[in-house]
Amino acid sequence: MRISVDPEVCEAHGQCSIVDMDLFPLDDDGYSAVGPDREVPEGEEDAAKLGVDACPVRALRILS
Amino acid sequence: MTVPRTDSVDLTTPAASADPFAVFRALRESDPVHWSKAHRAWLITRYDDVSAAFQNKAFSNDRVRPVLERKRQAGAESAATGVLGLMTGWMVVNDPPVHTRLRKLAAGAFKGQRIAAMDAMITGIVDAHLDAFVRGSGPQDLISEVAYPLPATVIATMLGAPPEDRDRFREWSDELALVAFGTGGAARADRHERALRGLREMESYFHTLIEKRRTEPGEDMLSALMAEEGDDRLTDDELVGMCALLLFAGHETTTNSIANAVLALLRHPDQLDRLRRDPALIGPAVEELLRFDGPIKVLNRWVVAETEVRGRTIRPGERVHLVLASANRDPEKFAGPDTLDLGRSPNPHVAFGKGIHACIGAQLARMETRIAVARIVERLPGLALAEEPAWKDVLASRSMEKLVVTHT
Ligand code: HEM
Ligand code: SF4
Repeated sequence: MRISVDPEVCEAHGQCSIVDMDLFPLDDDGYSAVGPDREVPEGEEDAAKLGVDACPVRALRILS
Repeated sequence: MTVPRTDSVDLTTPAASADPFAVFRALRESDPVHWSKAHRAWLITRYDDVSAAFQNKAFSNDRVRPVLERKRQAGAESAATGVLGLMTGWMVVNDPPVHTRLRKLAAGAFKGQRIAAMDAMITGIVDAHLDAFVRGSGPQDLISEVAYPLPATVIATMLGAPPEDRDRFREWSDELALVAFGTGGAARADRHERALRGLREMESYFHTLIEKRRTEPGEDMLSALMAEEGDDRLTDDELVGMCALLLFAGHETTTNSIANAVLALLRHPDQLDRLRRDPALIGPAVEELLRFDGPIKVLNRWVVAETEVRGRTIRPGERVHLVLASANRDPEKFAGPDTLDLGRSPNPHVAFGKGIHACIGAQLARMETRIAVARIVERLPGLALAEEPAWKDVLASRSMEKLVVTHT
C-alpha cells in the first residue's frame, strides 16, 4: 500500500499523526511530511486506513 | 450585540456562560483580538487567528513551572508544591524539547489500532451504565449516571486498574481539577487541603500499579507506556505524571463531550431523527457535535516573545486565550456555522486543538463519544429534556451542572 498527502490541502491538524506518528510524520510546523508517495510497511495497512480517514480535510489519499 | 473596542468582555458571567456564542460572534465581528481586563488576557476568536496561534512560537504552553517557582521562592515545600511538581512534568504544560520527548514516549500507547481494539470494552462499560438508566423512570441526570462515570471507568480499565478501584479514579479526577483550576467560595481552603491529600494517595497508588506491571506486563496502556522507545523510556515519576494527566485531560472533557452532544441533539429534533434513521452517520455526527458545542471553550498560552496578531502587538509576559468554541463557529470557515448539520463535510474543527499539542487522546475520545451517543439514542427512545440545564460559570470548559432527561 502507498499513501500520499496533498500539501495544498493539508492544514496541519495533526490528526493523522495521532493515529500513528511513524506512518504519518509531521514537519516542524505540524504539516504532514508524508510526501507525494510513501510506502506503508507490510501489516500496517489498517493503521494507514485509520490515519487517512482521520484527516478532517481529506488531504491524505491511499494511492494503491 | 456589538462590543465597542474599549469594552472589556468577561466570559465567566452567568449570561456569557449560558450563551457564549452571542459574545463570540460580537467579538469576531468587532474586536477579534480583544484585550479583556476581566481575564487579563487577549481573547483570540477568529478561526484563522486561532489556527495560526497554534503554530506561533511566541506562544508557550510552559505555564505551571513559573507558578511553582514563585511558590517555592515564597516558602518551604508543601503538599501544594508537591502536586504542582507532578503537573509541571505534564507534556501539555511543556514546550519542545521536553514536550517532544514525552509525546514521543506516549504516542505508542495511543496508536490507532490499540485504540480501535478498545471498542468492545467501551461498549460494555457504556451499556452497563445505561442498563441502570433504562430501568429508572422519571427525570434522571444523564451526566451523573452515565456521562460522568464512563470516561473515568474507561481510563481506569485501560490503565489496568482492578474494577473495585475505579471509583477512586473519579475522586482523583475531581481533585486534580480542583488543584489545577481552583474553586471559589468558603469551602475553598478546606477542600483544597483534602484534594492535596487525595492526590498524594493517587501518586502512591500509581507507583504500586507500575511496580505490578513491571513484574507482570499486560495488554493495558500502562504496560505500553512503560515500553522503551528507541533507547529512551519514561521514569517512574514521569509514568505517575502521565497516568494523572490522562485522567485529568480525558475525564471531564469526555463527560462534557457526551453531555453537550446529547443536549444539541435534543435541541435539534430533525438532526436527532436523522441520526436515528441513519446510525452510520455517527462518525461525522460526532465531529459536528464537537464543532457545534465542544467541551473546551478556551485554551491558554503564555506569551514569550513579542508578536503581532491582526495588527495588535502582543508582548512577553501577557496571556492569550485561544477561543476554540468561537473559531468553530466562524462563518469565514464554516458555512452556516450556527446550524447543526450532522453530515457536514469537510469539518476541520479545532475542538481537539491543533499543532504539536493536538489532543493525543482524540481517537479514544471520539470512540467514547460515538459509542455513548449511539447507544443513548438507540436505547432511550422518547428521550426528552426534563428541565433547562444550567451552565457552570467557568472559562476553560463548556460544562453543564446536570442534564436531566426522561425517556420512555
Ligand atoms: C472530547 C474529549 C476531548 C477533547 C475535546 C480534548 C481536547 C484537547 C485539546 C484541545 C488539547 C490541546 C491542549 C493544548 O493545546 O494546550 C488536548 C490535549 C491533550 N489531551 Fe485531550 N481532549 C479530549 C479527550 C482526551 C482523552 C480521552 C485523553 C486521554 C485519555 C486526552 C489526553 C490529552 C493529552 C495527554 C493532551 C496533551 C497533549 C500534548 O500536550 O501534546 N484527551 N486535548
Ligand atoms: S490530518 Fe490532514 S490536515 Fe492534518 S496534518 Fe494530517 S494530512 Fe494534514
